[in-house]
Amino acid sequence: MLGFLRLMLFWSVASAAIYWLLLIYSRSLRREALEKEWDAAHPLETDSAAREAFIAEGMAAYEHSLKRKLLIGVVVLPFLAIALLLYLVNYA
Amino acid sequence: MRKVKLTFLALIAVILGLFLHYTLPQHDVVRVVGTYQERQDLNDWTRFFWSSPDTQSGTLTSRDVQFIQTVKPNGKPMVYRNEDTGWGWPPYFKFDTASLQTESDDLKSTREAPKWAVVTHYGWRNELISIFPNAVSIRPVDSPDVTIIPWFNLFFFVAIAALAFLIWRMLAQFRERMIDPAMDRMNNALDDLDARADAAGDKARGFWGRLFGRGKR
Repeated sequence: MLGFLRLMLFWSVASAAIYWLLLIYSRSLRREALEKEWDAAHPLETDSAAREAFIAEGMAAYEHSLKRKLLIGVVVLPFLAIALLLYLVNYA
Repeated sequence: MRKVKLTFLALIAVILGLFLHYTLPQHDVVRVVGTYQERQDLNDWTRFFWSSPDTQSGTLTSRDVQFIQTVKPNGKPMVYRNEDTGWGWPPYFKFDTASLQTESDDLKSTREAPKWAVVTHYGWRNELISIFPNAVSIRPVDSPDVTIIPWFNLFFFVAIAALAFLIWRMLAQFRERMIDPAMDRMNNALDDLDARADAAGDKARGFWGRLFGRGKR
C-alpha cells in the first residue's frame, strides 16, 4: 500500500510538472504564430497597440480551444498507462 | 580534454545501455522442466538484484523466493526467479507470482515430448553472484522457431525518440523566446548605461571647464 501511495505521489508531482512545462511551450508557440500572422498582414505597423490587442484576443481564444484542453491528457496518460500495464501483465 | 570528454560520454552510454538491457523486457523460448522455492539471504550487496515487495518487512534478512527451471532449445539451462515487482521498480506492476508459478507447473514437459513456451523476463542471469532474471509472463508456443516481435521495446524507443525531439524543440523555443530577448534587453541596457555615462562625463568636464576656465578642448 505504501508503494502504491509513493507511486501515485511521484506521478502526481511529475505529471503536474510536465503539464506545466508543456503548457508554457504550447502558449509560446501560439503567441509566436499570432505575432507572425499579424506581421505578415501588417508589415508596416509592427509595433502598435492594435498588434498587442490582436495577440491578446488570439491568446484568449486559445485558452478556450480544444487543443489547450487536450493538454490535460499528459496528467491522465501516465495513470492510464499504469492501469493498462497492470492489466496486461497480470490478467491478459 | 577531448579524450576525457569522449571517455566520459562513452561511460554514460555504457551505463545507460546496461540499465536498459537489465530493465527492458526480453523474450526467451524455453521448455519448463521444474519449479522450486528456496530461502534466500538478503543481507549482501546483490540485494538490489532481488525484488523488495511492499508487504515485506525492511528488517527481514531472508525470505522464500520461487524459481522456474527451464531448458533452452540449444540444451542450455536457464533459471528464472519469480517475484512480484509490486508498485516498485522496475515498473512491471507484477502481482501474479503465484499464478505464473502455476502456469509454469502446468507447462512442464520432458525432453522426449517437449512443450515450448515463451518467457518474458527482465534482468540477468549470473552464476558467479547468483542472480536470476525475473520472469514476468509465460505463454505456450507450437515450436521453438517462433518469431517474436518485441512490441513493447519498439514502442519504448519510438516514445523515447519522440520525447527527446520534444525536449529539444522546447529548449529551442525557450532560448528563442526567453533567453535571446533577455540578452538583447541586457545588451541594450548596457549600451544605454554606457552612453549615459559618456554624456555625464562630458557634462562634468563642461562644468569644471567653465568653473576654472582652463583646459579648453
